[in-house]
Amino acid sequence: MDQRIAQFIAALRASGVRISLAESADAFKAIEEMGVQDKDMFRISMRSTLVKEANDLETFEKLFPMFFQASQPPPMTDATKGMSPQEAQMLAQALRQFSEQLRQMMEKLLKGEPLSQQEMNQMDQMMNMEGMTDMRYQNWLARQMEEAMNFPEVRKAMEELARMLREMGMNRQQVEKLREAMQANQQAMQDQIRQHAGEAIAQNLANKPRKEDAEGAMNRPFRALSEEDMHLLRKEVRRLAAALRTRLALRLKRAKTGQLDAKGTLRANLKYDGVPMELHHRDRVMKPKIVVICDISTSMRYVSELMLSMLYAIQDQISKTSAFAFIDHLEFISPYFDDHDPSESVREILSRMPSGHYNTDLGQSLENFTKDFLDKVDHRSTFIVVGDGRNNFNDPRLELFQRVSRRSRNTIWLNPAPMGLWGTGDSDMLKYAPYCGRTFQVSNLAQLAGAVDQLLLH
Amino acid sequence: MNENGFTSPARLKDALTEQMYIANDEISTVVYLSQQLGKPVLLEGPAGVGKTELAKAIACAAGRELIRLQCYEGLDETKALYEWEYAKQLLYTQLLREKLHDELAVTGSLKEAADRLGQEEDVFFSMRFLLQRPLLKAILSDEPTVLLIDEIDRADAEFEAFLLEVLSDFQVSVPEVGTLKAIHRPLVFLTSNNTRELSEALKRRCLYLFIDYPSLEQELAVVRLKVPELSPKLARQAVELVQKLRTMDMRKSPSISETLDWAKALVTLNAENLDKSVLDSTLSVLLKHESDLAQARRQLFNPPSRDRRQDNNSLGTPRWSN
Repeated sequence: MDQRIAQFIAALRASGVRISLAESADAFKAIEEMGVQDKDMFRISMRSTLVKEANDLETFEKLFPMFFQASQPPPMTDATKGMSPQEAQMLAQALRQFSEQLRQMMEKLLKGEPLSQQEMNQMDQMMNMEGMTDMRYQNWLARQMEEAMNFPEVRKAMEELARMLREMGMNRQQVEKLREAMQANQQAMQDQIRQHAGEAIAQNLANKPRKEDAEGAMNRPFRALSEEDMHLLRKEVRRLAAALRTRLALRLKRAKTGQLDAKGTLRANLKYDGVPMELHHRDRVMKPKIVVICDISTSMRYVSELMLSMLYAIQDQISKTSAFAFIDHLEFISPYFDDHDPSESVREILSRMPSGHYNTDLGQSLENFTKDFLDKVDHRSTFIVVGDGRNNFNDPRLELFQRVSRRSRNTIWLNPAPMGLWGTGDSDMLKYAPYCGRTFQVSNLAQLAGAVDQLLLH
Repeated sequence: MNENGFTSPARLKDALTEQMYIANDEISTVVYLSQQLGKPVLLEGPAGVGKTELAKAIACAAGRELIRLQCYEGLDETKALYEWEYAKQLLYTQLLREKLHDELAVTGSLKEAADRLGQEEDVFFSMRFLLQRPLLKAILSDEPTVLLIDEIDRADAEFEAFLLEVLSDFQVSVPEVGTLKAIHRPLVFLTSNNTRELSEALKRRCLYLFIDYPSLEQELAVVRLKVPELSPKLARQAVELVQKLRTMDMRKSPSISETLDWAKALVTLNAENLDKSVLDSTLSVLLKHESDLAQARRQLFNPPSRDRRQDNNSLGTPRWSN
């Protein structure tokens, strides 16, 4: 049993649920406490100790039956029961018309025998299940298996059999009953196969070697990231945003003016017998404020998901964040982040603003920005631009950029393109650069992390 | 309930029912586990599904004192753990001046006087002057308690880190007094409305319990229990309507507490049926945003044409948030 639980935990991890060693130890302790007799309690004690995020509950519920449902053969009915000898003979005669393989299969369906372990193993060998490490493949795999078992042909043969029996003069009702029983049995067998496919995938998940650390993905360029790396990166981005927040808080906390701190003053002046010699003031905590505009045009599409996730994470951490996305015009996207979860809101923004051909226009977007949202930028806010500065030879509107940049506390540009390409072709990066406090090349996560570290030094 | 707490999840569930709290198996099992393993429970879910209520019901059921710490932005140690009562210390020094004078009068040298004073030092840094805030109160209580840390997501990340330390071994060191250790481990509940991500470290130390909106039958049971005056037929109609409202894309979906308020309103108005006039006058008990109200009226009073409904479905079910 312990072995099975450990495998289950491994499979959960492989599906992206973050489970620490301490948590799996807790799960074992909880199971020891609750026992394994009551299946519901067993499930709940595992779930409450292992899964700590509402989004992961679904993964848990999907994987759990693959590991802990006793794979009993599905209930099937024996259709041949209650047949007269004459009818049985007719059936045997009709069956003889089919090929060996089909006949075996149909006899199984008639008698209501589930697939044996041996047959399942044979089926597994026919399939190439390597690399099937996602429960989303379950239905697909089950269909492949059904095809390997000749299910479509069997279905046809079943109709054929019914027709033959009728022609041989069997009672219509009896034929209908047989046919229905066979169909029900086939359905049960399909369920069995589906469950088996799920278990096979779950097994693959459990045996999957542990992923390399985020380190590998850190230095890989954004263009070369796989779906799984993205998952890792999103987590890393979240950590980055949290780091950004504390850093900001530390920097901005320094200023000491403001209200008199009565308690602090009293405390400090105890040593002067209560005569107020030293005055203490409350620390003025300056809340960080960030305004980000992010390019999600075609040339930036490969990083836009990541960048938007980062914006989401930042907004989650810093309440005064205003996020904007632009292609040919600018849109205020913060509201999306407020009421959706990260992947959902990013997907929605990307589908709302589809990329077109050569239509990036930062100048126009800046105009939108200064017209409608200039009040978001003040002397306390850091203005961040994420984009490659490729403007399709449109007017860069430098005067507007300068205006925004002057209003803000600091202006920072994050550019995913290599520095060597800045200013080539339609890139206006070098024109904008003089108005930025800092510019950074961020083509992999290590650089992004570095940029975030540097962000607030000024 | 005995000295050692609840003896089984089923017993716990019964005890909660006695407190008019209808728990499902999941809730009772997780709370029981938390008692057995000595781990805090992290409660998440939409606003108004009874997260705070659960902690209160447990405290009543177990006959323990409930100590509540409400979190907010800027909450710090002095508000959550302890603080020295400077004013009181100062006052005592003033009042005891005479006595101190007498004590020190017998001493010869200045050094002797300082030593003498040093011996009396603990008087001023004793428990007498320690203002106990909720966390310290829970630790020092002679009786076992239930500690409720409400809306932890509203506190700062720094406070969360500090909380970790307290929750892991339930001891606090006050430099002037020494280490204070809990006599009884309190049952700890943390609630969160998910306005921000909690840190991994905090989640790791807790058992996780997600409480969602109840099913129709569960909610009906709650209404029947808490507002028995409402007729069964009307109660069912009302709950069905609330469940329907929750499927709409609202800024704020009605919670259980709002369902109960509404049920009480229906009783007060002696409503016989959920007709248009009753709905019109009472719907504002359920929905607190003007736009939600307008939307509900539109959809309930003139059912939308088919294609508009499809439009609505394409928005998907809203993620719970508040």
